[in-house]
Amino acid sequence: MAILKVEKVFKDFSGLQVLLDVNLEVVEGERHAIIGPNGAGKSTLFNLITGYYKPSQGRIFFNGRDITKRPIHKIARMGLSRSFQIINNFPMMTVYKNVRNAIISKFNRRFNWFSFLDRSEEIRRESDKILELIGMTDVRDVLASELSYGRQRQLELALTQARDPVLMMLDEPTAGLDVEETREFIQLIKQVTEGKTLVVVEHDMDVVFGLADRITVLNYGEILVTGTPDEIRDNEEVKKAYLGRK
Amino acid sequence: MMSEKYLNRGWGAAVALFVLFLPVIIPEIKVHLAIEILIFALFAISFNLVLGSLGMLPFGFAAFFGMGAYIAALMFNHIPGTPLAVILLAGAVSGLISAIFVGFFCVRLGGTYFALLTLAFQMFFFAVAMKWREVTNGDDGMGVIRPELYFPGLGKLSLMNINNLYYVTLFFVVLGILAAYLFSKTPLGNSATSMRENDERASFLGYNVFLTKLTVFSFAGLIAGLAGGLYVLFQEFVATTAIDASMSFTIVIMAIIGGTGRFFGPILGVIFFMIFQDWISDLTDNWWFFLGIVFIAVVLFLEGGLISLINLDRVRLWLSRQES
Repeated sequence: MAILKVEKVFKDFSGLQVLLDVNLEVVEGERHAIIGPNGAGKSTLFNLITGYYKPSQGRIFFNGRDITKRPIHKIARMGLSRSFQIINNFPMMTVYKNVRNAIISKFNRRFNWFSFLDRSEEIRRESDKILELIGMTDVRDVLASELSYGRQRQLELALTQARDPVLMMLDEPTAGLDVEETREFIQLIKQVTEGKTLVVVEHDMDVVFGLADRITVLNYGEILVTGTPDEIRDNEEVKKAYLGRK
Repeated sequence: MMSEKYLNRGWGAAVALFVLFLPVIIPEIKVHLAIEILIFALFAISFNLVLGSLGMLPFGFAAFFGMGAYIAALMFNHIPGTPLAVILLAGAVSGLISAIFVGFFCVRLGGTYFALLTLAFQMFFFAVAMKWREVTNGDDGMGVIRPELYFPGLGKLSLMNINNLYYVTLFFVVLGILAAYLFSKTPLGNSATSMRENDERASFLGYNVFLTKLTVFSFAGLIAGLAGGLYVLFQEFVATTAIDASMSFTIVIMAIIGGTGRFFGPILGVIFFMIFQDWISDLTDNWWFFLGIVFIAVVLFLEGGLISLINLDRVRLWLSRQES
């Protein structure tokens, strides 16, 4: 069953066509990568799905429900969560409190003002469980802004994972990491997204081919092809898009 | 950890004893000053719920203080015999309602736009207070007679006695500050801080940014309205000075001098501001000049405000050495 369905989506920014008639289906349980050269519209597509932008035309369905016009926070509450290409956390809060923000939201306590946060055993336990899972217990009480870049990427993953989403969307999760770090990070992603549906935008081809079950190639705002890694590897059009026409 | 608990309790007890016995220690004329400090402390705390917690600078925050003041004054004058608590509650609620109204238009905006739009609304409120003479008496203002307090079985208490007024004010101020303090410990208080830290990330975690900001902004308006009501009770008078731009800027300066990063910072700013003003205005008419110098000095050289001078870490270190 398609958990995410993008139907005839167009997007233009004051006349500049960024996405042209994009159709995409993500099946439950698969790891789906979106690749394409710079400026192909990957990030725009990402932002449309997660509610940051609204499409000029077309509709987007998540779990069978139309989310095209829903605000960001409602889409997030439905179980669709995303990470960011650039570091995007709560800088002056500790790692624990960063994750706790997600857990509070998961338990729908965002507007609770008749209880003390520090006394909630449930929230503490759940937050620590996430830290354990992601492997950040050692920096639990460190401010997010004081973490190394690699650990901040890890926190980004923790924030995305903490709500226990149905669909996780990672926007260049390994951007800025070196080869060794990238390899470890891919293992971590595989581990924490076990059994979940994953959509990932990535530049690094090693990451894409190491992680994805299916790949969609985007070029000049249009979908070139969707297929398994092997199909993509042998596709002539994809080669052209990446290597240029000769 | 144990010592820290005792340290905090020790501080709390010392401050509590001090404010309880203050009218006995200081001369009567200074009790007036102490009452004013209490009222502005409450106002500053409400202000800092927006600046410190939400991370948004409202330049027109006197709108809600003034609203509470005017509504309280009108009730004192037109509905005689209303219990004091009801009047103060009405002042607070009017602060709340006007903050919901203003906040609805302002909290969507960020930075300068938010600051200036709140100022615009405050100037609008000011204009109404100025021009609607039939109700507000314009810039002549309205006099108010302090009511007597009736305690069933205990008799009555005159608020013309300055010490009685001190304790009544203290009661409501502590109530308001306590409400704001406890609020900061709740999940909603934490949501407010998350807005300051990164509202975009929060929205992707499922937080409704607009509603969270509006709620906290309105709650701050409620506390500011309570402070406004107490201000009228103390001054026995309300005029447009309670709702003008100068009042808005004063609270900004008080809070920043004290330090907006910690909960009790603004109170320290109010204490300093009031005592400094009281002292230096005896010496010179140009006291704003000197206050300006202090403000600049704090902003340039004391990031974090006066409260950052109180560093308990050293005391904690000393205590932990004693333990081991």
